[in-house]
Amino acid sequence: MRFIKKNIAVLVVFSTLLFSSCQKDEYVVPDPVSDLTNDCIKRTIGPNIVSLPIEFAYAMAIPKSKGKLVSAQVEASIAGATGTYLEHRSYFTNTSGVDVPVTVGIPSSNEGKATKVTFSVDTTAATLRYFYVIPEEARGQSVTFTFSATSSNGQTVSYKMGPYTIAKMGIKRNIAVSNGNLAYVSIENMTAYTAAEAAANAGKVDLVYLYRATPTTFTHALVSPGAESIYLPGVTLPSGVNRSTKVRKVFNLQDRNLANLQFGIYVDDKDLQEVDLTDAPNYALGLRAEAGTWVETADKKYKAYIFVNSVNANGSAVISMLRYTL
Amino acid sequence: MTRIYKTLIAIISITAIAVSCSKDVPVDEDGLLITERQECFVSNFELLGSDFVTVRAAVPVIDTTAQTINVTVLFGTDLKNVYPQFTLATDCKLDPKVTGRTDLSDLANPKKYTVVSGNRKIRKEYSLNIKFQ
Repeated sequence: MRFIKKNIAVLVVFSTLLFSSCQKDEYVVPDPVSDLTNDCIKRTIGPNIVSLPIEFAYAMAIPKSKGKLVSAQVEASIAGATGTYLEHRSYFTNTSGVDVPVTVGIPSSNEGKATKVTFSVDTTAATLRYFYVIPEEARGQSVTFTFSATSSNGQTVSYKMGPYTIAKMGIKRNIAVSNGNLAYVSIENMTAYTAAEAAANAGKVDLVYLYRATPTTFTHALVSPGAESIYLPGVTLPSGVNRSTKVRKVFNLQDRNLANLQFGIYVDDKDLQEVDLTDAPNYALGLRAEAGTWVETADKKYKAYIFVNSVNANGSAVISMLRYTL
Repeated sequence: MTRIYKTLIAIISITAIAVSCSKDVPVDEDGLLITERQECFVSNFELLGSDFVTVRAAVPVIDTTAQTINVTVLFGTDLKNVYPQFTLATDCKLDPKVTGRTDLSDLANPKKYTVVSGNRKIRKEYSLNIKFQ
């Protein structure tokens, strides 16, 4: 009898829980905006790389009865590099999906860490884009942003964004290389040298770009100066150029930053830290457009990812690279 | 109360008996089904480079009688970092398993791979012979 009573009690408790959990929550209409308000989103994705911008969209609005927008400001914890600005135009998207600008203020000015726009039209709502060009001082650091807006009734609102970690790696895009001319690639300096320049920077030349039509699979290649001579056919290395760089071919790794915003893949610090090139060869033959190579310099000072943007059968190519200091 | 317990014990016993009567599925040490098939051969072979693009210069020559796979690879192929891919007869498996990047650079001592038939009773060792273009 006691056992049955216990069971009934348990059953009652469970039934109550079941019914109460099924109760529908009533929808509550949110309060209309009654004061100056603001919101912000970060538009760029992927790693934050020195010299590239981080883009935000900062929105602010005030009821018409309360006043109008007077100014908008962004303060970064580390001052942005040249090119940092806050848009003085607000955008709307037309029926064709094109963003159309509407001028709402005077062009922004940078004062130290702050960038400010003063509104020049009578407006109660605007979305301004902010482009923060990452400075060298921010490499490997964290950056935060404080967006704020002021209205004609004296109100001020602010919105904090971040912290965002700035990548340690550096980027260099569209380096032209050519067979026998700009053929000597330096990872340290992220550039291509001629033979004469290479001789003057012998300790910094890590790879030789060369093109050979035969054998047919050779074509465009990045070969380390220290590689066997069969991989450097007809090449007379400038004096002192002899480093043996580890190179591993990759395909289908079209980093968005290197591929000029064409793809949705990103190579980040972590990839460069973790790629193991211990048993990699010191040459990469048969490269083609959109191929890439992981590279580690002979002194183990740098790791890099070199992306082939384009190749030309006349013996030239355009490469871009991400370089990480170990 | 005693009746409830008796009923419960009866249900559990019947379930246990029913489960124990189901036929065992024969599986090998890898959890793969052992079948009655006796076919034991390599039907195709592919070799990919570190960029997962083929490094073969020609179609591989597979001799199922001599149990050899002869592959010619492109000039400059980094054989320390390649991915061999074997296509086997139905239900066969390969020993040793190819688990990832493989070093096939020792051309003087071709790597051996054994094909094991579906019934796991026949084993055929293939020699993977690689030469450069």
